[in-house]
Order: sequence, then structure tokens, then C-alpha cells
Amino acid sequence: MRRTLVSEVVQSGSIFTPIPARIVSTEQLTEHEKRFVIALPEGLALHHSPGQFLMVSVFGVGEAPISISSSPSRSNGSFELCIRRVGDLTSAIHQLERGDIIGVRGPFGRGFPVERLRGKDLIFVAGGLGLAPLRSLIDEVLDERGNYGLLTVLYGTRSPDNILFKKELADWEKRRDMTLSITVDQPDESWFGEVGFVTSLFDDLYPNPRNAVAVVVGPPVMYSGVIKRLRSLNIPEGNIWLSFERRMKCGVGKCGHCQLNHIYTCRMGPSFAYSEVKDLEEAF
Amino acid sequence: METPVAVKPKIAFFDFTSCEGCQLTVVDSLADHIELLSVVEIVQFREAMSERGEDYQIAFIEGSCTRPSDEPRLKAIREQADIVVALGACAHLGGINSIRNRQPLQDVRAYVYGEEAELFETYPARPISAVIDVDVSIPGCPINPREFVQTVKMLLQGRQPEPPDYPLCIECKSLENVCVYLRGKTCLGPITRAGCDAICPAYGDGCEGCRGIISNPNYEAMKAVLDWHGLDMAEVEAKTTMFLTYQTMNMDEKKENGHGH
Amino acid sequence: MDFKIMPKSALPDWVKKLTILYRVVAPVPKHGQIVFDEITDPSTLTMLYPQSVLPPKKYLFPQHEVMLNYKLDGSWFEANIESEPTVVLGIHTCDLHAVKLFDRIFSQGYADQHYQARRDDIFLVSIECLTPCTDESFCRSMGTLSATSVFDLHLIDLGEDYAIEIGSDRGESLLNGFKNVFNATSTDEERVNDRLKDKWAEFPYRLDFDVTELSGLLAENFSSEYWDELGEICLACGQCTQVCPTCYCFDITDERSLTGEIGQRTRTWDSCQIDMFAEVAGGHNFRKSRAARQRHRFMRKGKYQMDAYGLVGCVGCGRCAEACLVGITPVKTFNAIHKRQLEKEEA
Repeated sequence: MRRTLVSEVVQSGSIFTPIPARIVSTEQLTEHEKRFVIALPEGLALHHSPGQFLMVSVFGVGEAPISISSSPSRSNGSFELCIRRVGDLTSAIHQLERGDIIGVRGPFGRGFPVERLRGKDLIFVAGGLGLAPLRSLIDEVLDERGNYGLLTVLYGTRSPDNILFKKELADWEKRRDMTLSITVDQPDESWFGEVGFVTSLFDDLYPNPRNAVAVVVGPPVMYSGVIKRLRSLNIPEGNIWLSFERRMKCGVGKCGHCQLNHIYTCRMGPSFAYSEVKDLEEAF
Repeated sequence: METPVAVKPKIAFFDFTSCEGCQLTVVDSLADHIELLSVVEIVQFREAMSERGEDYQIAFIEGSCTRPSDEPRLKAIREQADIVVALGACAHLGGINSIRNRQPLQDVRAYVYGEEAELFETYPARPISAVIDVDVSIPGCPINPREFVQTVKMLLQGRQPEPPDYPLCIECKSLENVCVYLRGKTCLGPITRAGCDAICPAYGDGCEGCRGIISNPNYEAMKAVLDWHGLDMAEVEAKTTMFLTYQTMNMDEKKENGHGH
Repeated sequence: MDFKIMPKSALPDWVKKLTILYRVVAPVPKHGQIVFDEITDPSTLTMLYPQSVLPPKKYLFPQHEVMLNYKLDGSWFEANIESEPTVVLGIHTCDLHAVKLFDRIFSQGYADQHYQARRDDIFLVSIECLTPCTDESFCRSMGTLSATSVFDLHLIDLGEDYAIEIGSDRGESLLNGFKNVFNATSTDEERVNDRLKDKWAEFPYRLDFDVTELSGLLAENFSSEYWDELGEICLACGQCTQVCPTCYCFDITDERSLTGEIGQRTRTWDSCQIDMFAEVAGGHNFRKSRAARQRHRFMRKGKYQMDAYGLVGCVGCGRCAEACLVGITPVKTFNAIHKRQLEKEEA
């Protein structure tokens, strides 16, 4: 049996020790976002669930939490990360090429409640880079399509240039067993699609609230508006799942940076049911 | 992997209005870290050598801009250099030289140069960032040798060095220094950027703020603390502006224009 | 109670013997303050001391710690687990309670092996406090004025002698082969009981309510205006968290050698009072205001740690109150919140 990455990390003597992994390929998705396919050392399995993250190291620069953007169903010895260039570390990652080594430890945190989604009508809402962790879940659902009800994906991003995973979006658009809607809030001449924030895509949505579960991933500013729309569709608070981004230094509930009131986002989250966090002032 | 800026980058040092103490610290740092000389080539450094080369990638500038003729010189350096580093408080903040900005320039000039005052050009002192774009600042009066070496290292490795943006108290307390306030003195540690190994408090003196102020300081609370410890308004003003006249005058101007917080 | 008796006059000899076998750290005077430092000469030892500037947590969780060494090409990397058999001598009971909390924090979920290694190598020799160590301490209110566990040995000052309570076999081993330790007689037991009984009157309650109410009180006052008032006066200088025996937040940074072949990863104490502590890469700061940061600090001390680890997060040592330049203290804060709560209930 293959050993898991996280057990390998623990056995290295320190939970803070990354395991070297090799970049198999890279693809520039947008001006600021790049997709990396990464292979673990021979004999190691990632064994993650959608929505979990890895602590990713560039040796000599630092470490940051990055959500896994490939689904467990398609992670056959390799997995994918979609990384936006925003700081020292992510800029360094963007400079890496095929064959270079990065460090990884994890997967950490609680992912999306895949078991609880079975048989349900699914509404996935992604804002910007939020599509990366959601893609992991979308592919998981598509690979076992029969286990789930209706699938609707709503994706909002700033401009047509910012759209991620274009090829896959085109495939999803063609599928008859799912509905994909995309909107941008800063269109250009090439754009003939929807214009507005992701909330504007809710106008044509009529879910059965008794059987619907929503999973929402996006920047902090997006949540309150989307939750409001979902609540107005009578989706119960316990059936709205969110994924939170926080500063994280350790990934294992020690360093204190990701604390959201009394909760360590890295351990209890990053995905939460809205009912779990709605009364926490530091959540939104 | 990232590539360094050049195989063996050429670096140059320049001085404007300053005491040249930061360059002396550089000389000391190089003596202690001789290995740096094997990875860079110094082409201009008046403080330490007589040769002068005009082909350089990294320019370290000490001193503030205090007269019109400084501007073309600064711009020429900016033009040549890939990376401009402000070396020390004068270049970084305007520093001590800016204290004069508080008085009419005529009076200052007359005081310093007497009857020949008119022969010397001068205007309000400013940090070099007021004239040219600065890529990196090494704060302090003088700079901290460890931080200088660290900065050079990071630049050679293609990284962006950032001086700490948290208060000196953090660093000072972790060293278990006696709080300067307990010694009956005053200190700007609560609002000043750390990174100097708390050298003044370690020797029993209060921080004068030479490394500049952290982002989002509680200025009012700091002034209140100074007041409780016996400083009158003029002394509080003097204490908080010793290195920061340029920043605080700007702040006052912004306030007057209704842009302040 | 299982304890031994050691004449006070024998303490220096015992400590001298310990220094041969172990690193011994103890409270020592430095520039008019007390700091925990390594001792080689037992004559510098002081067992009756006002609170140390930093708690002895620095021996379990140092200010700076190299966690990992590696080659930049990823071909070699090694966890750096550093520990050294160390006797911490003269630790107050409040600080023992803090160690108890640390033990839970660093072992819950994925264990922190760096902490664990040092913890396993440390002997805690505590001392019973008989009078308040500073005006700011409030250990009685926090229930930390005594300890029944965590220590390896616990000393009680009986005047001419120390009674030494044995907390563990490891602790007892520290006394092995030392001649001037005697079994306690029934008279000794009486002396210990009297001492422990009499001391309580020396320590005032400083909270206006029982500590068991603290968590609930804070839960109800998350939105209190009092936090805004603290935010107005707080300098956000971070001294409170640096000196706190139960603060453990940290940052991790990487550095590489000049030629760029090897690097290391270092853990450093961090502070939730720093502006950018909760800022994410995109620039959003989840705790931007000083008020929110102070609230977070007090919530951790009075509520969050209790929720997460079952232990109150403040041990009443008073260090933060001593350090604060604007007079923010846990006693004042908790009492003020309590007072407002009462007023709210009356209204």
C-alpha cells in the first residue's frame, strides 16, 4: 500500500518538514495565475479530499497555504495547484519550471463535505480564484456523476482575461448533466456573456431548497451577498458551505494566524457550514 | 529557480547630505563579511576607494536631498541603476537634516553660513524617495550591519527585502532589556520599526525613531505616554520629529487639507 | 503528600551538583530586574523573586528557533530538533499552569515535535509562592496560586528548610545521591500544612467575580464598546504578548546562504497585536483595528483557550500589566466588562 504524504511528514521527525515534490508541468492560465502539475516522490499518495490545502514551500523563500485544485478522483500520483502571483512566495513559485522541486506538507484542514453532497442538487458558486478549490470538487462530482443530483456552477470573475481553466469551462458548458453560468464585472469588447457580480447569476436559479446544497468559494467581500441570495432561496444555513482564506504559517493549528474567534481555520476549516460560523464576527 | 540579478553585479555607493556614518558601517560590515566581496564588484565607493566606475546595477545612496543640484545627480543614478537602495535614515526619511524644515530657510542659512549665506544653495531637506523611485530602504541612523548584509544577500538572490513593520518593543522585550520608561526616560519604541536589535534601549537610552514609524501607529497614544512621563508639548514635538520632520510635517499639511485621519 | 526535607543551607550544593549534570536555568537579577538565565554559580540564585521579565516558556518555545535545514535544490533537508537536558529552577505556580496549557496546545492534533523534544528534556522545579510577587499579580483570582501537577519537584519554603514535593520519578531522580535530603516527619508535614494554610490570606482576590464566570462574561460582551476604548489607548506595541506565559503565536521565515546553496527555516515569536498579523496575501486584514486586536487577545485569555483546550488562557502572572505603558491590564479589563454587564442587567 502506498504511504500518505502526511504520514511521511510526521515520520520525518517534524510536522513542519516539507517533502520534496517535482513540478511536472506548468501552464500560464491568466496574467497572474498559473497551473502547476506536481508529482510526489515514488510510493507516496496525497490522499486528499476536495477543499483541503497544502503548505507549499519554495526552498529559500518560504511557505504558504495553497488549496489543491485537482480532484482525488484524478490525482493519480500527481496533483494540481492553481497559484495566483501576489507575494514574495507566489512570485517565486511562478518562476519555477518543469523539473524544479518544491516542498509540500499536508493535506491539511477539513475539506468540503463530499459525503453529505451525495444525492443532493448542487449549487457551486465561485468568485475569482475560488474556482481553483471548487474545481477539485466539481471534477469529483463529474467523475461519479450518478451519485449526485442537479449540478449548477456559477462563476464570477473580474474580467474575461481573468477567467481560469478556460478549456475545462468550455467542456463543462457543453455537458448536458450540468449548468454553467459565467459573469464578469469588467467586460471588454470580446465579451458577449453576462455582466455583473456573481450574485446576478442567481436571477435564473430556482433550486428545490429541500434537496439543495450550496458550496461557495471566493474572496472575503463575496460571501455576504451570495449567502443572502442563497438564504432568500430558502436554502438552510446548514446546507450552505463556505471556504475561508486566512493567513497561515503552520497549517496545523499552532501558529495562531488563522484564528477566527476561537476557531483555527486551518484545522476546523477551511470549509465551514454557514450555520457554524454565522455568529462569529471575525468570519466575514 | 530564480536567477540573481547578474553573475557578479556591480555596486556603487553615493553620498548626499549626511554624516557618512552609514557608509562607515558598510565598510565595517564588509570587513566582517568578506565573502560579500566575492559575489559583488564595487565600482564606486568614495569612502573606501579612489577608483570610480559609472557602470553599476545596484546603487546605495546615503544622505538626503537638500539642494536643487542634488536632483539631477539623483536622477542620473536612478537612470543607470537597476536597483536603488536608500541607505540609512537621511536617505530613507530625510532624517536629522529635515529638522531645519521647521524654520524659515533664510534664518537657517544665515545661522550656518553667516554673511556668505547667499552663496550656498539650499532648500527643505527630503528623503531621496521624494525625488526618485526607491526600490529598497535600509533604515537606521546608522544602519544595522546585520541588516545591510541581509539586504545585499536578498538583492543578489532576486528577492525583495522588507524592513520589519512591527514595533521595536517586540524585539526589545524578547531580549529582556529593561524598559527605558522604568529608567525614567522616554522612548519611541512602541511606534518605531524594529530591526536594530533594540540597540539604544539595550544600552539604556530611549529609541529616537531613526528607523521610521510602523504602518498604522497610534500616534495620539504615543504622545499621551510621552506627556505622562513629563515631556511638555515642545519636547514631545522634538522627540517625535527628530528623524521624522519630513513625515510629520507632511502629515500636518495633509490634516490641514482635510486628508488626515 | 509525598515529600522530602532539604535544609536551605544545602540548596547551593544541590544546585551545584545539578549544574554538573544538566543545564540549570533559574531566576537571576539583571540590571535590577529578574530574568531566567543559565546559572553555573549557585550563589547568584534567588528563590524569592518578583516576576521575571519573560516567563521560562522561552526554554520550551524559544524566541527564535531553526526548525529546518535544507539544500535549495530540495535534495537534502532535515528537521532541526534541538533540546538539552535542562532544569528550570524556581518556576512560579502560575507559570506551571501556563506549561500545562502549552502541553495541550502543542500536542493536540498534529503534535509539535520540536516542543515535545524540549518538553521531554525539561525538569520543572517549582516554588510555592507565599506572598504576591508583584502588585499586578492576581494568581488567586485565576486559580493558579497552587499547583498539584506538572512539576517534577516542588519547593515550599519552611524558613530553615525546604519541603520538596515529588511530582515525578524524573523529579525524584534529581535528588538521587544527594546526602542532605531527608524523609519528612509528621512534624514536617504539620509545618507544611500550616505554611500552605497561612499563605492564602496574603493573596487578595482581584477579580470582582469568580473566574468560572469569565468565559461566559466575555462571550456576552464581544460587541462591548469597552474594546473600542482599549483600541483608542493601546499602542499596539506587542509587549503584552511577548511577556505572556500563555502566548505562543509564531511566524516562520526562510533564509538562505549567500551563495544560495543551503537555507534554513526559522520560527519566531509573533504577536496578534501587530497590524498585519491577520492580513492575507490579497491584502484583506481580518483584524485591522487595535480594538479588534485587543479584544482578540483578551478573548483568547479568558474564553477561546478554555473553549479549545479546557484551561483558562490567563494565569494571573501580571507580566502584561507590568509591561503596558498605557495601563491596560487583565484585572481592569475583566472587571470593567463585568461592571458593565451588571449595569446592563440592571437597566
